Amino acid sequence: MLRIAIDIGGTFTDVVAETPKGLTSVKVLTSAQAPEVAALGGVDRLLQSLSKSPAEITAVVHGTTLATNALIERRGAKTAFVTTAGFRDVLEMRYEKRFEQYALDIEMPEPLVPRPLRLGLAERILADGSVSIAPLEGDIDALAEKLRSKEVEAVAIGFLHSYKNPAHELAVAERLRTQLGNDVTLCLSSEVAGEIREYERFSTVCANAYVRPLMSRYLARLLSQLRDKGFDGSFLMMLSDGALTTLDQATRFPIRLVEGGPAGGVALAAHVAREVGSDRTLSLDIGGTTAKICFIEDGQPQTNRRFEVARAWRDVKGSGLPVKVPTVELVEIGAGGGSIANIDALGRLKVGPKSASSEPGPAAYNRGGEDATITDAHLTLGNISSEGFAGGIIELAPERAPEAIARQIQDPLGMEAVEPAAAGIIELADETMANAARVHGIELGLDISSFDLLVSGGGGGLHGARIADKLGIRRIIVPQNAGVGSAVGFLRSPVAFESAISVVEPLDAIDVVHLRSRVEDTLAHVRGIVAEAVPMERIVCSVKVELRYSGQGLEVPLSLPDPDGFEKGFKDLTPRFEERYRALVGFTLENIPIELVSVSVGARERRAPAEDHVLVPVGEGAPSGRRDIYDLNAQALLSYEEIARESLNGGAVQGPAVVPEAQTTTLVRPGWLLRRSSQGHLIMERAGA
Amino acid sequence: MTNARDIVARNVLWNRLISVCEEQANALMRAAFGAIVREAGDLSAGVFNAEGDMLAQAVTGTPGHVNTMAASVRAMLEFVPADTLVPGDALVTNDPWLGAGHVFDFVVVTPAFVKGRIIGYLASTSHIVDVGGRGWSAEGRSVFEEGVTIPVMRLRKAGSLNEDLLSIVTTNSRVPHEARGDILSLLTSNDTGVSRLIDLMEEYELTDLAEVTAFIFESSAQGTRAALSRAPQGVYESRLTLDGYDAPIELRAKMTIGDGRIDVDLAGSSPVVDRGINCPLNYSAAYASFGIKALLAPEIPNNQASLNAISVSAPPGLIVSAERPSPVTARHVIGQALPDLMLGCLEQALPGEVLAESSGALWTIALSGAGKTDFTSLNVALGGMGARPDADGLSTTAFPSGVGAVPVESAEVAAPLIYHSKEFACDTGGAGQYRGGLAQRIEIGSRLDEDLSLSAAAFERLTNGPAGRQGGLDGAAGEVTITDGTAVSDKGIYLIPAGERLILQTPGGGGFGEPEDRDPGAVVRDLSEGLISREAATKIYQK
Repeated sequence: MLRIAIDIGGTFTDVVAETPKGLTSVKVLTSAQAPEVAALGGVDRLLQSLSKSPAEITAVVHGTTLATNALIERRGAKTAFVTTAGFRDVLEMRYEKRFEQYALDIEMPEPLVPRPLRLGLAERILADGSVSIAPLEGDIDALAEKLRSKEVEAVAIGFLHSYKNPAHELAVAERLRTQLGNDVTLCLSSEVAGEIREYERFSTVCANAYVRPLMSRYLARLLSQLRDKGFDGSFLMMLSDGALTTLDQATRFPIRLVEGGPAGGVALAAHVAREVGSDRTLSLDIGGTTAKICFIEDGQPQTNRRFEVARAWRDVKGSGLPVKVPTVELVEIGAGGGSIANIDALGRLKVGPKSASSEPGPAAYNRGGEDATITDAHLTLGNISSEGFAGGIIELAPERAPEAIARQIQDPLGMEAVEPAAAGIIELADETMANAARVHGIELGLDISSFDLLVSGGGGGLHGARIADKLGIRRIIVPQNAGVGSAVGFLRSPVAFESAISVVEPLDAIDVVHLRSRVEDTLAHVRGIVAEAVPMERIVCSVKVELRYSGQGLEVPLSLPDPDGFEKGFKDLTPRFEERYRALVGFTLENIPIELVSVSVGARERRAPAEDHVLVPVGEGAPSGRRDIYDLNAQALLSYEEIARESLNGGAVQGPAVVPEAQTTTLVRPGWLLRRSSQGHLIMERAGA
Repeated sequence: MTNARDIVARNVLWNRLISVCEEQANALMRAAFGAIVREAGDLSAGVFNAEGDMLAQAVTGTPGHVNTMAASVRAMLEFVPADTLVPGDALVTNDPWLGAGHVFDFVVVTPAFVKGRIIGYLASTSHIVDVGGRGWSAEGRSVFEEGVTIPVMRLRKAGSLNEDLLSIVTTNSRVPHEARGDILSLLTSNDTGVSRLIDLMEEYELTDLAEVTAFIFESSAQGTRAALSRAPQGVYESRLTLDGYDAPIELRAKMTIGDGRIDVDLAGSSPVVDRGINCPLNYSAAYASFGIKALLAPEIPNNQASLNAISVSAPPGLIVSAERPSPVTARHVIGQALPDLMLGCLEQALPGEVLAESSGALWTIALSGAGKTDFTSLNVALGGMGARPDADGLSTTAFPSGVGAVPVESAEVAAPLIYHSKEFACDTGGAGQYRGGLAQRIEIGSRLDEDLSLSAAAFERLTNGPAGRQGGLDGAAGEVTITDGTAVSDKGIYLIPAGERLILQTPGGGGFGEPEDRDPGAVVRDLSEGLISREAATKIYQK
């Protein structure tokens, strides 16, 4: 077995090889113009170091931010949008509201398709799916002529109520295809995101059409060059929801690839969670500029069907383009190592979301950054050591850290020493992250204190214990070697595909037999897609529904048994909905119809059973030294034991202790007990738990 | 106080208090009935200290709630004194003069007890779809016709729900179950907020909120003062003419910018009218303050101290200071014009720094079945926002309201209507160096070929378009017609006969700066996109 994962990000491309002996990785700079060049270069280097040839590769799994970057930088195809006459401005009107109440200077994103390329066609399907106006062939032909004259590369087609009845989209696409030939890309809103709410569906189909020519050219180049080198294995792409799919699907629906990279990170967290037997896991990845939160239950990350790309105004929620595709539900917080601490106009201590990033970076990087950052605070407190920082890649000027904090935080707040100011910065950052997790947990109706906290990224081990304290969490997992997390995550992801059906009807008015046949059709479709890469007997299917009280916006997701138990499962929905609603809201309502909003149908590769994990007690971790760290609660220095991860071997160590490593440092706060799992992951438990 | 732990703690606490409110507001929004309420975020939540002063408030929600709520808690405690409250109690009212300006808005206030002592209150407010009376229209001649009013009383007594009170509301509502659900949501939302507040105090070992109150109020008062000082001191006046119900209404303001504070007097505005577009002073003050704050102090969180720096007054009995029993259902028609009136004053203080007038009052499209099929459908039609001093106005975007439109597909699923078109209307954005936001044209008919009934209560600015500034031209006035030839000219009830359609064209935003100073590239682009006509390009935008 030789499996290769390629993760192409905006700056770096990670390539990871997995053989029966383990993982090997290489990091190269992304070649933005032709991303396959750097990626294939990385593959070559890796194969050389392993003394392998491309022909020996059994599988390549690939994730890329190329589609996302094309949307952000507006480098996609010249795209036209064909829609119901009278509704061409839906794409630009958006939600018709301001995403910030008090900011008078907000800007909306430019639509991907400018007004002259948004063309109306006389046709109309009504809310019940019936045809009010059928499109005329002559009108379609005139439209084709117009599209030809404008020399568009891609055409997105989106008609009102096509989620209910796609007939007009299909008919128009077919006729346009014969007129325009195969060189023009055609995308249908009913296929890309067949759900109610026209703006979001139209936005999704336009984004898909916009990136599809670019993505299909790129993927074809990458694959043909791999094949030329003798590669003969399978090729899979990472989707935004943490699943893998075939090249064909990826090429048709490139918009589903946008969050592939971050999804890989979550996939790895989910894998580690399964390895250590954690069935409720809160993943927190603390990077250089932001932290990302995702809830994982039974090894399965929370997903959502709505995502926003290419935010246009100060990265504020609501300023981007909505896309309705399955996506891991990540909450991103502006708190990472480079986040800047400052005192605002009201005299409040604030941390983030502004970041010093890696250039100029924290004050201690000594590259012109004067702002005090979270990293500077850790250095000032002694949480991290300036020697061997980031594996020795960055040479620090550690004295600049306390200088910056004294100047920007300690003096303005009138604090007596620099350490408490630094500790205050960390406390604020911990609070920001913990609070975001708490709020997100409440939104999802989860009891956060029953979760384990899995921390990754450079700052994970530093912040984990305090955040867990704030959330009432009693177990923390710090995975082994998560430096190339996303790419490794690709290797741990199943092949899967999901598709949603909009219904929006009261439960008691639904023709269950008809719905069952729609679900079965969709199931056959998604199973067919997965079957291209996975043997039938290893495919498992799932059906999920979203219910709400008619008139409310709170949609409650529930699972349904597969079609064999469909009718029975359908009958149970009402009591199950009420139970879940009561858990979320605190009461149930009477005499208000319960409405089925949508059904989502998925097929996925069955996961290999997790290997048993054991904690091998091989002696105590031997301290290799001590360091003093300021503690805000005690308002004094505390002495921490320094322990090397390898020396732990399953033995237990009482906090305060610190595990310094090249990429991260783990702080074991007082009251926590540290052990190491057989896979090498650090496990911290609340003493007495 | 220089103790490091305390300094950090009070910063964390302030953030967390805002987050507690925000969380409750979001939870309420998800659970609210009625698409408009949800889209609108026609609700709010706030945390108050033991004295009834507001410490923090959710930014989610419309400005109308954001500022009225601050006064609600104290006002309600005057009816039910704090020392009579016990754990498990909760107060409620929908009195327009104590809550948020019309009977649709319910306010629930829940005390938070620690060791038998009240340490603070959680309050939340939300728009209930129907509380009886004439429903959503301006036709009531007095507030008595507008629905049931609940005086300040206990919604819950020592933990047991006041079912008598709830049944009065549900018996008077056309949608009783939804009304009950919405009121219970307010109650549970407060309960969650209370427990979050108490957790927070335990985490930081606090026994009361006095210290954090002092920190929030001192910082906010100082910050607001500094922010308001950007405007030169002086007295500035402005006026605005609205269509009114069926006769023009004048709004007047005299703004006194003093040392770090602003006082507004609305004396001279038209008197109340006998239809429901009158506005109680609390709601007028809320929107007026919003206009001032959005321009001068957008970053400062809402609380008692930051709101205290702005005062709004008016002699009683004006359309901006209506008293019981004036009808007030569509009070937003007046209230939402006040930010433009305030910006008109501020334009004199800070010439060239103030955005042009916007389309103002949210156009509520209230359609109901007048044939065999009974239904009601509420949606909104948005006009253009005024051009900014350095950017075009936003097209079809609400200002000052934060309400967005219900998607056409959702509206058509919910009611037997067909939207025949919904597109930008050419040449409606006021010309200028920066163009006003475009208005839209919407065409709606019955799907069943039946008669429809329309309440035109909120179609404002049909006579005068929003004014431009600094040489910018006015945005286009709105226009509402029915295809049988009827022109909607007042705020009454109209019949759309079977087979006919309603055509709405909202007002466009005012322009900013001289049109001939507009970047020629922008003119060419507007023309190629069909946002302006060739005639406008050659006649208005040429020197």
